Amino acid sequence: MSSHKDILPPELIKDKGSLHPINHMKDSIMSLLISFGFEVVDGPEIETEEFNFDMLNIKKTHPARQMHDTFYVEKKLNLLRTHTSPVQIRGMLEKKPPLAFISGGKVYRKDDDATHLPMFHQVEGIFVDENVSFAQLKDLIYKIIYSLFGESVELRFRPSYFPFTEPSAEVDILSKEGKWLEILGCGLVNPIVLENCNIDSNKFTGLAFGLGIERIAMLKHEITDIREFYKSNLDFLSQFK
Amino acid sequence: MKIAYSHLVSRIQESPTLEMVSDSLFQLGHEHEVEGNIFNIEFTPNRGDCLSVNGLLRDLSVFYTINHDQKVYTEKLDNLQIDFENLSQDICPQISFLKLEIDNIPHTYQGCLNDYFIDLNINKNNFFTDISNYISYETGQPTHCYDANKINGKLIFQELNTNQEFETLLDKKINLTDKNSVFLLNNEIINLAGVVGGKRTSCSSETKTVLVECAFFKPEKIIGKSVKYDIQSEASHKFERSVDPACHELVMRRFINLVSEYSNIKKMSFVSYKFADITAHKIPVKVDKINQIIGINITEDEYLSYLLKLGFTIDNALITVPSYRSDIETQNDLAEEVARAIGYNNILKKELSIPKGKISNNYDIENKLRYFLLDQGFYEVINSPFVNSSSNVSIKVDNPLDSNREYLRTNIISSLLENLIFNERRQKDSIKLFEISDVYTSKNNRIDRVRKLSIIASGRAGHNFEDFSKKININYLTKLFKEGLPSENFDFQILNRDSTKTKIKNEIIGCEVDISNFSTEVLNYKEISKSPDSFIQYRPISELPYSQRDLSFSIKNFSSRQNLEKYILGYENELLKEKFIFDYFYNENSSEIKIGFRFIFQSLNSTITETQVNNIMNDIIKNTDKIKGVTIPGLN
Repeated sequence: MSSHKDILPPELIKDKGSLHPINHMKDSIMSLLISFGFEVVDGPEIETEEFNFDMLNIKKTHPARQMHDTFYVEKKLNLLRTHTSPVQIRGMLEKKPPLAFISGGKVYRKDDDATHLPMFHQVEGIFVDENVSFAQLKDLIYKIIYSLFGESVELRFRPSYFPFTEPSAEVDILSKEGKWLEILGCGLVNPIVLENCNIDSNKFTGLAFGLGIERIAMLKHEITDIREFYKSNLDFLSQFK
Repeated sequence: MKIAYSHLVSRIQESPTLEMVSDSLFQLGHEHEVEGNIFNIEFTPNRGDCLSVNGLLRDLSVFYTINHDQKVYTEKLDNLQIDFENLSQDICPQISFLKLEIDNIPHTYQGCLNDYFIDLNINKNNFFTDISNYISYETGQPTHCYDANKINGKLIFQELNTNQEFETLLDKKINLTDKNSVFLLNNEIINLAGVVGGKRTSCSSETKTVLVECAFFKPEKIIGKSVKYDIQSEASHKFERSVDPACHELVMRRFINLVSEYSNIKKMSFVSYKFADITAHKIPVKVDKINQIIGINITEDEYLSYLLKLGFTIDNALITVPSYRSDIETQNDLAEEVARAIGYNNILKKELSIPKGKISNNYDIENKLRYFLLDQGFYEVINSPFVNSSSNVSIKVDNPLDSNREYLRTNIISSLLENLIFNERRQKDSIKLFEISDVYTSKNNRIDRVRKLSIIASGRAGHNFEDFSKKININYLTKLFKEGLPSENFDFQILNRDSTKTKIKNEIIGCEVDISNFSTEVLNYKEISKSPDSFIQYRPISELPYSQRDLSFSIKNFSSRQNLEKYILGYENELLKEKFIFDYFYNENSSEIKIGFRFIFQSLNSTITETQVNNIMNDIIKNTDKIKGVTIPGLN
C-alpha cells in the first residue's frame, strides 16, 4: 500500500561548503586558547624591521634577516612578517601586564619546495604576569597538545634557541610510526624583549609559544604534500566538511 | 657538524655508551642523528662554542668527568717579527700569528690526527692544512695557514669596498663586491677573512715554512658572506657563530705540539695582538630568580654546582661567564643552563591559570560571514598574495622568488578567478568559492591595509534536484544572499570570461567587499553549518578525467521508491566517486514518479574505461530491476 509520504520529494540535501582546513585548524587552536583565557589580537602582515626583528631581540647578524630568508618590500623600507610575534609586541606596547594574547595568521619566508611554502600560517601566544615560570609553560603546552592529539600522546621538550625566548624549547610528539615529530616552539619571554616593550623584567616574566598550522594540519589530516592546501581544488576542499 | 663518538668517549672517564652520550646530547639541546659511530649534530645558532670536540665535552661536563687536558707546547716562544697592520680593529680586535719551519714533511699520520681523517672519512690536503683542519675540529678555532715564503711584504687587515676578482684556495674565482673584510699583501687580496683563503699564498704539499693566522672576527662582519659567494666554509660557519676570543695562545701551542709529533721544528715564533680588551661578563648569583624562572626549588649549592661543571666561575656572589660563552648575558640565560642540566623533561609542570580575555567583534563578524557562505554551498580558499601583474598602487617585492611573484595582489577576485578556472578544467559544474584576506596597497609612501571578502561562483546552483537545473547568475545570488543577510549589500557583477581561454559559457559572478562595510546585523545570522567535530583523514585526489552517467527511473509502486533510493545512494564502488538525485517529478495525472540519479566515476590510478563504467552501471541496473514497480524507461 502506498502512502502520501511515498510521493513526497526525497530529502532535499542542500550543498554545503567547507572552511579551508588551515583556517579550520587555526580556528580550533585559537578557540582552545580563548577558552584558556587568551585574548585575540591582530596585526599587519607588512611590518617594519623594528617590530619583526629588533624588538624581538633578533640581531642584525641573525640569518633570518638576510635577503635570502625574508621578503622585503618597498625598497627595504618594510618586510612581510616572518612570524606573528610582532603582533604581540604591538599588544605589549599597548597594554600593561597581566596580559595574555594570541595572534594567528599568514607569515612569509623565502622558501618554496615540497615541504615549505613562501606563505604559511602560525598561531602564537604570550602570557606576561608576575612569577610566570617554565613549569607553567609546560602545563600550558601539555594542555594544547593533549587537546590536539589526545591525552595518550607522548611528548618531549628539548632545549632550543629563539632570540625572543630564554629558556627556549621545542616540543616533539611521538608519531604512530615511532618517530618524534616537532610540533611547536616555546619558551620564557627574553627579558630584553619585555624591556623593549616597556615592561619591567624584574617584576614580570612571560611565556610564549608558536605553532605552525600547516604542520599540525598535515599531521591531523595525514596530508603529505603541503602544496595541496593551496591548489583550491574542490575535490580536496570538499573533504573537510 | 659531525663528531665521532670515539673522539668524545676517549676523554670521558665514565666511558658511557654511544646511546648514553646520545641521550645526554639530546638533554642538552644538541639535536643529532647517529650515523654509525658518528654524531651528526645540528647546533642551535647561539652555541658556536660547541662546534668542536672540546666544546661539546665542555657541555657534557655537566654529566661526566672529562679529561680537558690536551698536550700543548709549554716552552717560551720567541717573538715573531711581522710587518702587519690592522686597519679595522673594531672588526678584528684580536689576532695572533705563529711562524713555523719544519725539517721534513710527513705523509702519514697516527693517533688523533689519523683517527680524525679515517673516522670522519675526510680527505687529506697538505700537512699544515691538515693540522689546521684538525685543530678547528678539536678546539673550535679556525686557523689559516699561509705559505710563509709567499708572504713577502706588508700584511694588512681591512674592511674594504671592493669590486675585484679573488681566486680562492679551492680554485674558485669569485667577484668580491661591496664591503668585505680581507687580508691584503702588497695591496692584493690574499684572504677573504673568516671565509676562505686565497690561492696565491696557500700552502702546498711542499710547504715547510708556514705562517698560521688565528683571529677573532666580529660575527656580524662575516655573516652572509659564504652564502653571498656560494662558498661552503667550516671556518665561516664558526666565525658567524662566534669563536672564543681568549683561546689563541692555547690553540697555537696545541698546533705546535701536533706538528712536533710529526716533524722536527727548526724555527718557531709567535705574536699576539690585542686591539681591544675583551672583558669577562659577570652576573650576580640569584638562586631565587633562577627557581622562579624555571619553577623549581633548588639550593644555591646545587645551582652553582651545575654552573661550575659548565666552566663558569663564582667569586664574591658574582658568576663569571667563560670567554667561549658569548650567548650568556642574563639570569634567564643562566636559568636555561640549569634547566638543560636538570633536563627539560624532568621539570615538573605547574598549573597555569589565565584570567579570561575578550574576543574582538571583527573576529565574530568575519566568522559569521564564513558560516553564512558555507550554508550557501561556498568553499573557503586561501591564495598566495604574490602575483606577476601590478597596478599603480601595487607593492613591489624587493627580492621575489621569481618574476611571476614580483608584486602583492591588490584584489582577491583575480585569484578566485584562477581557482574557478582550475576547477572548471577538472569538470566541476558547480563552483562557489570565497576568500577573506588582507589586501595591501601603497600610495604616496603610505601602506594601506584593507580586509576583504571576495566571492566567486559559476555553473549550476547546486547538485540537488531543486538546484540542478538552475544556473548561477546575479539574480540568483542576490536573492540567496538577501534571504540570509537582508541588511547587507553584495554588489555582484558578471566577470569577464575572455581571459579564461575556456569553452565553458557559464556566467561568472563575483563581488569583493571590505569587511568593515558589514554591520553588526551579520551577528544575528543563525548558521546551519558546523565545523567538523573530528579531523578527517585526507583521501588522495585524482587528477584523471571523470566519467558520468545518468539513470532515470519510473516508479509506479510508490512504496518501492525508498528501496530504490536506499539501494542507489548506498551503493559503493571504489571507482564511483559520487552519486546524487538530480531530478524528481511526481506526475499526478499518470500516477507516476520520475526520479533521476547521476553517477560520477573516477579512478585514482588510470583513466577510467567505458567497460569499467558499464560493468558498474549494469550491476546497478540488474539489481534495481529486481525492485517491484520500478522501471527504467527505454530499457524494459
